[in-house]
Amino acid sequence: MAAFFGLALLFDLRLLGWTMRRVPVSEMSRRVLPWTVVAFIVMVLSGSLLVFAIPLRTYQNVFFRTKMLMLALAGLNVWIFNSRVYRRVETWDLDALPPRAARVAGALSIALWIAVIVSGRMIAYNWFDCDTQPHSAIIRSLAGCTMPDSRN
Amino acid sequence: MLLPFFSQLEHSWMGQSIQSSVWLFPVIESIHLVGLGIIAGSVLIVDMRLLGVGLRSQSVEEVADNARPWMIGSLALMFASGILLFLSEATKCYYSFPFWFKMSSLALAIVFTFTLKGRVIRQKLDQRHPLLGKATAIVSLGLWFGVAWGGRWIGFS
Repeated sequence: MAAFFGLALLFDLRLLGWTMRRVPVSEMSRRVLPWTVVAFIVMVLSGSLLVFAIPLRTYQNVFFRTKMLMLALAGLNVWIFNSRVYRRVETWDLDALPPRAARVAGALSIALWIAVIVSGRMIAYNWFDCDTQPHSAIIRSLAGCTMPDSRN
Repeated sequence: MLLPFFSQLEHSWMGQSIQSSVWLFPVIESIHLVGLGIIAGSVLIVDMRLLGVGLRSQSVEEVADNARPWMIGSLALMFASGILLFLSEATKCYYSFPFWFKMSSLALAIVFTFTLKGRVIRQKLDQRHPLLGKATAIVSLGLWFGVAWGGRWIGFS
């Protein structure tokens, strides 16, 4: 997690023009991002194992659902950045301060990955678990609780 | 010898506030975790460069200069959030082997980073002795990994 987030963060900070301002963006992309892919694969594998250990509890966890949503949004951000902004990287590769679209992608990426980390950490807490009732109807539907509310 | 002091810390106003709150510990913990990611990135990018991977066309010094403010900033964030987490369970930490393991690794990692590693980078020793550069990176990664591993382990004991 730390390897992935830390290295992805450095790339995002470069997009924001906050570090490595003299390093071409394409070089950061070539040399740093492959390592984030390696770290991401490690996380998907180890994360899947953690889910398989307690699948039902995880599936019905509000924070797990939030985390997956944030993960999907982070992926969407990467896809939009690659298919639009980064395609014209030659025109701004050496800019100390990349164009607004790239800065927005960098800032969104940082915010979304922090959201993934925070919601992921919260999965361990059982405040909203279906078996720690009573919960409001909103929480119950967000968590996908199937058992009837014990208050009824 | 330290136990009465740790106990006093845990019973301080701050320690008790965090302990009695449902949300405070997890929130501070999350901040600590984000700080972990930042420090890992800023250490990794320099150590990877010393190992000859990553930003190879930049000098080690250039990479280190760029990473330094982020490393020091995240270290400050880690200290601030870590001390708060510690206050809320100081007595548990006193009896926790992982806690002492983490603190020892941390002390070694900080001393190593700001003395030997700093000197290797400033005096460009890695250019004359490539093996020294690589060894520096491996020791640095090992020490910081020990800190992170010890930290995660505190939560399991």
